[in-house]
Amino acid sequence: MEYIVNLNKFQGPFDLLFHLIEENEIEIYDIPISEITEQYIIHLDRMSEYRLDITSEFILMASTLIEIKSKMLLPSFSDNEEDDPRQDLVNRLIEYKLFKDVSEEFKDWEEEELKFLPKPKEEVEYDFKFNEQILFEEINVYDLLNSINSLLKRRKIEIGREPPKFNIRYDEYSVTKCIKIIKNILKDKSKVSLMDIFKIDFNKGFIIAIFLSILEMTRDNTIKIIQDNLFEEIYLISK
Amino acid sequence: MNITEVKSAVESMLFIWGDPLDLKDIEDILQVERVKIDEAINSLILDYESEDRGIILKKFGDSYQLKTKDKNYQYISSLYKPNTHRSLSDAAMETLSIIAYKQPITKIEIEHIRGIKSSYIINALKDRGLIEVTGKMDKPGNPLLYGTTKDFLSYFGLKSLDELPKLPYDEDLRSLEKDHEGEDEDEIE
Repeated sequence: MEYIVNLNKFQGPFDLLFHLIEENEIEIYDIPISEITEQYIIHLDRMSEYRLDITSEFILMASTLIEIKSKMLLPSFSDNEEDDPRQDLVNRLIEYKLFKDVSEEFKDWEEEELKFLPKPKEEVEYDFKFNEQILFEEINVYDLLNSINSLLKRRKIEIGREPPKFNIRYDEYSVTKCIKIIKNILKDKSKVSLMDIFKIDFNKGFIIAIFLSILEMTRDNTIKIIQDNLFEEIYLISK
Repeated sequence: MNITEVKSAVESMLFIWGDPLDLKDIEDILQVERVKIDEAINSLILDYESEDRGIILKKFGDSYQLKTKDKNYQYISSLYKPNTHRSLSDAAMETLSIIAYKQPITKIEIEHIRGIKSSYIINALKDRGLIEVTGKMDKPGNPLLYGTTKDFLSYFGLKSLDELPKLPYDEDLRSLEKDHEGEDEDEIE
């Protein structure tokens, strides 16, 4: 059971990798990639057995290890030590380890400092609320009524009057209507730019409806959207 | 205001405030020179150092806070359970130490070092007031830069960031930084 707890504690792929390196007493600058890769993958399997979440980062590390392993199998044509395919991984491991060690020190400081207790600041805030209560004691319900009446008068609203009416209009352009418009245009022309369609009626409702229609038509495979380069004109072509 | 009055006023303000109080705020309220405040604070610190006092005056960055002495912790905790003090998780500690040393730093740089997504932890640390957004990086996407706060110093009992011990392989790290500067740009895009 202790093992499961252990697995749970890994803070990411580097953490797991470090655990393996320490467990096997491996020299970090000369990692036997083949062995480590195998053990790493066994660990991932075990983690999924225990239904622990294996995030994509763990899988990414597995593929990185396999990549390094395969690179090391290839004959090297250079004597340069910097070309060691493990170098980047080792650098990142060392940097990670650096902060992992330091974070242990942070824990000691935290524990030490937690023994010094400050006085919670909330008491000051409570005091403010107390002051507000005194303020309210001096007014009564009629003061409230007067104040709401004067407010309503100022805004020219009378209590009991009919609520204001709002008109909700139907959209001038529906998606169905816009699909027809686009289809009609494409009957005459082989391609049309998005901007030209918008020019038909440059209002918010129309542009939104056109947008939705284009998405709809693309999904139905009746048109194709093309753009030569980023930020250039977008064209529609019928299929 | 003479030094005795300043000392008394500072003590009252620190007591009622509870949180770390900025030297600047004390200065604005009392309208006396910084030297006088410094003198008053130093005198207070000396008073509290006496064995028979249960309070300590702590300095965090440019602010000061009254706290109870650690030697009395056991008595206070049997008086009441200080519930505001839940220690940080391993993941939070790891992330916080990276930010403390490498600030100002972007989320992507933190994730590069940790090898794992860290949005949740960064937000949690921000909610706890231990880190804050200190600016934006002038790179595509203008990623946010994070740094530690005054409360961070107070939480770990540090007088200033200079008190952080030097990283053991400081030299190695600097050369590493140069190595993956290019990489980071790719990731941001």
